[in-house]
Amino acid sequence: MSAQDTVLIVGAGPAGLSAAATVTSMGKKAVVVEKEDILGGAPIISGYAKLVPSGEWAKDAIGRMVSRVEGDGNVSVHKSSRVTQLDGEAGNFTAHLSNGEKVGAGSIVLATGFTHFDSINKPEWGFGTYEDVLTTTQMEQMVASGKIRCPSDGRVPERVAILLCVGSRDRQIGREWCSKICCTVSTNLAMEIKELSPSTDVFIYYMDIRTFGLYEDKFYWKSQEEFKTKFVKARIAEVTRSPDGRLLVKGEDTLVKRPIVIPMDLVVHAIGMDPNVLNPEIAKIFGIGLEKHGFIDRAEQYTNSQGTTRKGVYVCGAATGPEDIDSSIAQGQSAASRAVADLYGMQKVAV
Amino acid sequence: MAIHEKTLIDPDRILQHDHLVVDGVDVSGSWNTMISPRTLTDYEPDFEKIIQGYSGGENVHRCWQCGSCTNSCTMYAQNVDFNPRYWIYLIRLGLKSELLKDKDIIWQCVSCNKCTNICPKDVRPEGVMKATAHWLEENGLTPKTLSTHFDEEFTHQCLEYGRIEDTEVMMGFYKRSGQPLVQTWIIEFGKNLARHLPLGQLAKMGLNAVFRPRTKSWGRTGHVLAEYVKAQKEAAHHG
Repeated sequence: MSAQDTVLIVGAGPAGLSAAATVTSMGKKAVVVEKEDILGGAPIISGYAKLVPSGEWAKDAIGRMVSRVEGDGNVSVHKSSRVTQLDGEAGNFTAHLSNGEKVGAGSIVLATGFTHFDSINKPEWGFGTYEDVLTTTQMEQMVASGKIRCPSDGRVPERVAILLCVGSRDRQIGREWCSKICCTVSTNLAMEIKELSPSTDVFIYYMDIRTFGLYEDKFYWKSQEEFKTKFVKARIAEVTRSPDGRLLVKGEDTLVKRPIVIPMDLVVHAIGMDPNVLNPEIAKIFGIGLEKHGFIDRAEQYTNSQGTTRKGVYVCGAATGPEDIDSSIAQGQSAASRAVADLYGMQKVAV
Repeated sequence: MAIHEKTLIDPDRILQHDHLVVDGVDVSGSWNTMISPRTLTDYEPDFEKIIQGYSGGENVHRCWQCGSCTNSCTMYAQNVDFNPRYWIYLIRLGLKSELLKDKDIIWQCVSCNKCTNICPKDVRPEGVMKATAHWLEENGLTPKTLSTHFDEEFTHQCLEYGRIEDTEVMMGFYKRSGQPLVQTWIIEFGKNLARHLPLGQLAKMGLNAVFRPRTKSWGRTGHVLAEYVKAQKEAAHHG
């Protein structure tokens, strides 16, 4: 395996798996380095339920991507390992891995993903204080388990409140971006909750609803019209507990122009996508730049779409900013094809 | 606390006391005005279903509050308190007490249907206004309209006799709606009748007034019909 025949792919989530399959389909070899001991990335590690927009279970859909790569003789996988040092330059990189091995590669694709926002950073919304305050990922796991119950005492919740923009669009905590997928994920989650627990009413507290593209009617409208999800225009100020043990969401209903204190049984934080916490380290090791929020920066958008600020190093998926799974997969293909073109010395970038 | 600027507060939240003693302390005088809190403490999520049970209200749950209805509304141009978008929101969350604050203007919808034509979600706001006005009236929250009084008298006679008698319908309608039985137009009508003296017609009217005619073999039909109408209504409104 010579460096000129090989693309190094860092991260084995939807974007990285897609990149690996693309590299081998173009007749080259891929080396995948994954820091976790399983492949599949966030959808598998965090136990997502049904994916948007296919409605397929994450373990089935992403599972297929994993088995395609694992069954590919031209892909070698290093699990539970990281790149600790990178030598050389475009066309002839050498990566040192934490498991002691060295990988020679002509080009590199970073598919290092994101980190879920940690709700502990918004203590006023009760996460970590009350057992019945959960995040969307925890709620996804509850849906996957097939039963909707309050963690505190196992009762079926009469009401669930989903709070949007937790860790997004919030200057107070330095997150000025929209995480793009939480609106759609939340409207989908509301439908899944209603399906499993028809007696539960779901309320979504929002500032705006950003179910982009075809997600508008397939998720937002459907959730509202067929599954009776109620949308309340209010940014919640605080979640507290009433003496009877239920939760109270406090805020201002901006359409009624009145303060609200409404009892709820479960409160779900629609958590946003942070830059991968390891990005500063990744930037240092690979010699690439980060954009102002801490996601991996791109050199030029139009003739070098997946290029980082370093020649021969490409990036795809949520490493570059909040991204949905479908787009991450498409970007994985895009980055891989640029990386393979590099191996042939065929890359053309307008200057 | 003392209120310095009462105009800033909804009148229904200002609590006036002539004398007020709090914890044994007499706070009468300039301290005796209190404000009830304006916080909304709960929803009534089933209220939406009740309005959906009235003809026209079926699509109220589709609303996403864009405000196209209010923007296009003929009545809103006359009175900014006439706000279909806002009422639909209150209906959806079941904020009944807020809705009832506007109960005396909701009926003013002129059914121009501009809202229904413009609504991007096909909520049919004009229908929602109609449904809401009917709900208000049926529950005694607004007085019965003249047309309701007329309908009730008309239906009553149909069920009772299997037919209607014009004079009786008019008289019953005036009685039900609290209007004088002797109207100026009736006096004019009487004068004209007297001038031409259609004896046969007058005799028939007189006989009908004394011996109330009933449709042949009407029997229990009216009773059965009334039961049916009642059941249909129950099913639609309280399903």
